[in-house]
Amino acid sequence: MGAGDGPLNTPTWLRWVWVIPALFLIALLGVPLTNIFQRSFDVGTSFEIAPQVSIAFSAAGQALVSTVLATCIGLPIAGVLATHSFKGRAFTQALVTVPFVLPTVVIALAFRELLGSALAPGFLLVVIAHTYINLAVIVRIVGATWQQLDPRKVTVARSLGASPIRAFMTVTFPELKASISSAASVVFVFCFTSLGVVLVLGNSSTRTLESQILRETSLLLDFPTAAITALLQLVLVSCVLLLGARTSLKRTSAVPTLRFTRLRPASSKAQRSYVFVIATIACSLVLLPLLSLAYASLHNSAGWTLQWWSSLASVDSGTTRLGSPLGAIGTSLRYALLTGVVAGFVGVGAAIGVLTHRLGRAVALIALAPLGISAATLGLGLMLAYGRPPLDLRSSDVLIPIAHSIVAVPLVIAVVLPTLLATDRRFAIAASSLGASPTRAFFTAYGPILRIVMIAAGGLAACVSLGEFGAASFLTRSSDPTVPVQIVRLLQRPGEQSFGVACALAMVLVMGTIALVAGIDALGKKRWVR
Amino acid sequence: MSSLLSKITLTIAISSSLLLAACSSSQQQSGPSTVTLLTHDSFVVSETLIDQLKTETGITLKITTAGDAGAMVAGAILAAGSPSADAMFGIDNTLLTKAVDAQVFSSFTSKNLDSVIPELKKDTGNGVVTPIDYGDVCVNIDDAWFTKHKLAKPTALDQLTSLTYRDLLVVQDPATSSPGLAFMLATIAKYGDQWTKYWDKLNKNGVKVSGSWTDAYESEFSSNGGTYPLVVSYATSPPAEIVYAENPKPTKPSTSVLTDGCYRQVEFAGVLRGSGNEQAAQRVIDWLLSESVQADVPFSMFVFPARANTPLPEVFTKFAAKVSQPLQLPASDVNANLKNWLSKWGQVMGR
Repeated sequence: MGAGDGPLNTPTWLRWVWVIPALFLIALLGVPLTNIFQRSFDVGTSFEIAPQVSIAFSAAGQALVSTVLATCIGLPIAGVLATHSFKGRAFTQALVTVPFVLPTVVIALAFRELLGSALAPGFLLVVIAHTYINLAVIVRIVGATWQQLDPRKVTVARSLGASPIRAFMTVTFPELKASISSAASVVFVFCFTSLGVVLVLGNSSTRTLESQILRETSLLLDFPTAAITALLQLVLVSCVLLLGARTSLKRTSAVPTLRFTRLRPASSKAQRSYVFVIATIACSLVLLPLLSLAYASLHNSAGWTLQWWSSLASVDSGTTRLGSPLGAIGTSLRYALLTGVVAGFVGVGAAIGVLTHRLGRAVALIALAPLGISAATLGLGLMLAYGRPPLDLRSSDVLIPIAHSIVAVPLVIAVVLPTLLATDRRFAIAASSLGASPTRAFFTAYGPILRIVMIAAGGLAACVSLGEFGAASFLTRSSDPTVPVQIVRLLQRPGEQSFGVACALAMVLVMGTIALVAGIDALGKKRWVR
Repeated sequence: MSSLLSKITLTIAISSSLLLAACSSSQQQSGPSTVTLLTHDSFVVSETLIDQLKTETGITLKITTAGDAGAMVAGAILAAGSPSADAMFGIDNTLLTKAVDAQVFSSFTSKNLDSVIPELKKDTGNGVVTPIDYGDVCVNIDDAWFTKHKLAKPTALDQLTSLTYRDLLVVQDPATSSPGLAFMLATIAKYGDQWTKYWDKLNKNGVKVSGSWTDAYESEFSSNGGTYPLVVSYATSPPAEIVYAENPKPTKPSTSVLTDGCYRQVEFAGVLRGSGNEQAAQRVIDWLLSESVQADVPFSMFVFPARANTPLPEVFTKFAAKVSQPLQLPASDVNANLKNWLSKWGQVMGR
């Protein structure tokens, strides 16, 4: 084990941090799920399981291919963004995150606009879309660790004659392994439980358990089978996550070297062109579908127009089609802020819990479970538990941010935990021995890194909230819809205006996300350089 | 680190005050004069009518939406007996039986039921729901495409399997799309036991299956830039094309409707069992069937009012298809066979 493994005199209050995520999980995950499963078997008892098993197999194949692709394309991008400073770096980093938070309906439409009829719906299109969406997960999660590796080690290896690839394989990769396996298992789970992409871009070969649950819940109204399917998905996903966590929960075997390093400009001509090529590829990969969306928002059958943008505020005014598209933006921002704060604190609490208490590890593992819980199950469960008397939270606008937080907490943990685990504990021990109180010593070691990862993770959670559609669409609400819900509503009716305004609204979401992510990155960087 | 601590404290304070606010506000709103109407995302009504309801009956209408009709009904069934609202609007004849069996509703039909078009009130789930509006799912035709290619427009469902119309039709997967499901049910109503043969022929004739109405209509339909001039949509899509067009609005739509083989969807409203506010909820159902709300229905939701002799807007009388012989299956048949039908459809279509 690493040299950071000395006895750490953890402050007493910090040992109980795991209680916060534990309570959060019991109240907002345990209670709703118990409710929904109980009710499902009250309503009926017969179910069938055979078709689900074959669907699980084909979904696993699809997810595996998507994950390998996303990892292979994502790693070089993560490396360039994490180790080099260059003009447009912040922009590139923000841009890569955008596909992850866009509603899948929008992405599907963008791909339709871009690829036209070149690709029929099916396996290939689904895999491309999944890769596109999940690049961000690899880049952000692996990048968070990569940013803190000591670049001098690579420099040493290179000066000893190692090729860039060999230097990567022998020096960098071992230190990244934990975060790669953590990120890849998250990506696999996302692809395995995918819904929107599969519905719009898939065919029979790309069904997922999630799409099967939706069909059983809201079309066949066969709740027992839906519950069994949901449980099956939860078990399978938990296995994958455990596998991923087994690697990432272990402290990296290499001596921890995590400290902050400044980004450095590329030093050689070859490096400069490598950075340039990778950054350009990353940007164009992300931008191509988005540009086709932008084009659609500025175009009608007659030519260029600004009309879709100018009618953002006025569509449907005077009716109960709650709120204008403009109002939806306000709602989405409010939910995103709440989600960022709640998921940020709960997720970081869970991650600290892993460091400070035996039970913390179990709590953190359970907190990953929402990745495997279907949106329909979660949404309906929350509605049953907290959407009707005696405890009716619908009118207060918190049910949707709660659902978003539950969905986002696993991501926060995935970002924070590998970094915390790889942080050098010796600083705490040194501080202790110099007379610092346990609290002071803990935050001497973990404080700076916590601040950075918390901002990054909270931002990611806010982004998840901006794009979430599944669970939110099952939750009753009486206020303005979120932007993704509004976009889907607009897309669900005929007319050039509906489509144009939906594209304009999607572009607002794209630009808002870029701004948000760039802002978070800038904030993180400021603290960092100090 | 005290700043972090104070942030945590602040967050806890904020979230607990939010929770408190939530509890207190929900108590305020559950007064007898407030009725919560559970509905799907597509529900729209003019705000002036809600004000009118308030002045005439003292009832404040609160609308909560819950995804599409399927999601809404799923939630209502799971919460049957202690519902999250007082009344529900938007359950259609494909989902009705399951909800009735699960005792989602209280016994009540509107006093205005007499005024409803007779054929719509054949099934009220044994007196628990009231029909509010109806619409027909039909194949839509891109007129311009057929003119350009000098081809006669199809006039019957049978023709769609002929070589003349090869590779021209796009439909939706019935398992993922509501109009897709209605179209499948239309073929079952029309062809009986032979319906899978019809689909087999459609399949061999190059029918395209999309996952959603949006994908089929907005991307694949030639009128919107795609390559298929025939698409499963609604009888009211042509007038909607005009209403939701860019200014200046076109004077007539460029699409029309194949009026053979249309499936009729009826949307109902009912009082939710266990709401504790049933009388006021009943007034809201009456209001939904009142002359003024019924007159508002076409423009708001692009469906036809259930109340007979309700005046229609001009764009409807001119361009919405009048379907003389819509197809329909008894709700109980759909309930009993849906799973089986969907898997048969999947086998035939290789999906």
